[in-house]
Amino acid sequence: MTLAIELQQVTKSFGETKAVQQLNLEIPRGSLCGFLGPNGAGKSTTIRMIMSIIHADSGSINVLGTNALAAKDRIGYLPEERGVYRKMKVGRFIEYIAHLKGMRGSSLRNTIDQWLERIELPNVRNKKCEELSKGMQQKIQFLAAVIHEPELIILDEPFTGLDPVNTQLIGGIVHELHQAGKTILFSTHVLPQAEEICDRIIMVDNGVKVIDDQIDAVREEFDPNIVQVTPVDANVDFLQFDGISKQGTANKDGEINLYLDENACQTVIVSEIASSIALLGIQIMQPTLTDIFIHQIATNEGDEAAEITREQLTNA
Amino acid sequence: MRKTLTVAWREFRDTAMTKAFVFGAIVMPILTIGLFIIVIPLLETEDEPLDGVVAVYAPEDVVNELQLLFTDSKSPLQEQLEKLPDFVTQDAMVHSFLSESPTPTITVERIDESTADEVKPLVLDGSYLAYINTPDSLVQSVDSDEELTVFIPNDFAIDHTNFVTRVSENAIVNARLKRQGHDPDSVREMLKRPNAITMRVQEDGELATDNEIARTLLPIAFVMLLWIATFTSGNYLLTTTIEEKSNKVIEVLLSAISPMQLLGGKIIGQAGVSAVILCMYGSAAVVGLITFAMMDIVTFSQLGLFLVYFVMGYFMIATMMVAVGSAVSELSDAQSLMGPMMLLFLVPIMLWPIITEHPQGSVAMTTSYIPPLIPFIMMIRITSATEPIMAWEILTSITVGYIAVICMVWICARIFRIGILIQGKPPNILQLAKWIRQG
Repeated sequence: MTLAIELQQVTKSFGETKAVQQLNLEIPRGSLCGFLGPNGAGKSTTIRMIMSIIHADSGSINVLGTNALAAKDRIGYLPEERGVYRKMKVGRFIEYIAHLKGMRGSSLRNTIDQWLERIELPNVRNKKCEELSKGMQQKIQFLAAVIHEPELIILDEPFTGLDPVNTQLIGGIVHELHQAGKTILFSTHVLPQAEEICDRIIMVDNGVKVIDDQIDAVREEFDPNIVQVTPVDANVDFLQFDGISKQGTANKDGEINLYLDENACQTVIVSEIASSIALLGIQIMQPTLTDIFIHQIATNEGDEAAEITREQLTNA
Repeated sequence: MRKTLTVAWREFRDTAMTKAFVFGAIVMPILTIGLFIIVIPLLETEDEPLDGVVAVYAPEDVVNELQLLFTDSKSPLQEQLEKLPDFVTQDAMVHSFLSESPTPTITVERIDESTADEVKPLVLDGSYLAYINTPDSLVQSVDSDEELTVFIPNDFAIDHTNFVTRVSENAIVNARLKRQGHDPDSVREMLKRPNAITMRVQEDGELATDNEIARTLLPIAFVMLLWIATFTSGNYLLTTTIEEKSNKVIEVLLSAISPMQLLGGKIIGQAGVSAVILCMYGSAAVVGLITFAMMDIVTFSQLGLFLVYFVMGYFMIATMMVAVGSAVSELSDAQSLMGPMMLLFLVPIMLWPIITEHPQGSVAMTTSYIPPLIPFIMMIRITSATEPIMAWEILTSITVGYIAVICMVWICARIFRIGILIQGKPPNILQLAKWIRQG
């Protein structure tokens, strides 16, 4: 397995604040990796160090087999802080960034036009950046990050500020780029989006890595061991079945969570219930990234912090 | 290097190819050049020659003098031009205006004092150009309490007013002289002061003429040119750096290039802007010198040294400006850091009279080696010195200056690298020192 990004024992402090502590990270080439964590967890600092925009206090960072300074033309980066030259025309802005990324030649203008079509902004080439809405500017910046077809794409909160339609659009392009073999690392608070497209997640909290694995493995690790049933008769007692330790109350849709014993076999219990009770539905519950995220926050910072984060995620 | 040049080209293009710049740095010098060429014809068209009758209540000899002076007089423009130094009046263009300018045609009409009140309405309606009232006592005694009064219409031009009053005053003086038995023209001739030609004896025994005008004008002209070219582009550097920081585009740029490439590109790009400004204002200055036939007061060695000090001055100011720009997030925050810096650069302007007077004096010698002041002080010294500045002094100042430039670029790079990513409150001196150490 060749690595696109490798961090070893990376530490970064700002005054008394330890932003990143002893971080080890291995992101394989061709992966689509979600970089998750609460606000102030150290995600943007880590990304900036990977991009060589700021330097680590200690540790080593390897990007595409070298350092980011040497590999800048092979990396596309959408920073968390969005910015454009307000008075510059959109076409010139993208052209300028493309030139800085080493792109030259007469085909560049055609490429820009094709990309503008692709992000559904076909008529903005000659508009000044300040004439565009915030969401449009964000799409222009996304375009500037990927126009030079980089091997590695790093996106810091790419979906923040986008409406659902544009989130879907950018998410689709990210997925296509991944299919084309690009390595993608993106940080986000939109966890369902990350869940939908990532094959790997890394979660950091207080500058420390808490999760780093394939998404299926993470789900397995955080399996809540819950079977959800929707019985025809809401008064059925499921505790009659072996292996069920607790029965939850029915929600407004009549769904009831059944908490299994630690060593119980989910599939056996599901088949037993299905063959004995009249049901409208039954499913083995999979943990969502939101659940895992909240669980980790609760583990590290307590239930109160987890509740605040849950509210933030709901609002996001 | 290619990326640095890409940044430089954007910096140049977005600064020098804007309407504001084209007006400020290109149109203004062209207008200045045009002014040299068209100002005199414009003045001429404004200056309608006086033509008409002047009513006078005065003793007969004064009336005669007035008639003589009005007949021999020149237009106000001619009089103004003739007051200019010889090198100006000998210029072909000025000379042609002096010879072709229309002269006034004025007739003097003597009236009785009893009719004076009747004359005033005629002055108002334009029947008379003016009414001059000269009591005899003014001719008799210089201590007279009475006054010469000139009545003119409300809309009489200032030049014409000055002309009529001056002729009236001269007529009284001429009448006084004649009453004492003197010839006014002879007296005036005798009162003309001779022009002293100063010859400076050089160390090798050769004589050199002392060009007072060159010694006065050249230092300030070179310093102003240096000031305009370096500070205009330095100011652009400050504002574009703050703009890139405040609109958050800086992180996008730093994802594509290193801070040093960005810094280098910005400084090179604005150097181009500075060169354009220098060329435009320099050209205006050259046209001015040619117009007044003064090209001989500038030497090639002065021009060559000016270029050396211009590059030095540009880098000193550019590095300071870009360091300030990268350290702050708002233009208003930059003002507090710019204040002491601007005071420092005002020192050469404040010392200019002292240094032009004593180019080899201790003030001049000392300030010649204080880095940010070197380009300005040395240009004042080089252009105002009666004896050429010693070669070792010039070489030392250039060496000290360029070593300072290297140090300033190094310091600026370290501040830039850290400051460019930091938002919020501007740093204090201690924090800046820390950035320099860490950067």
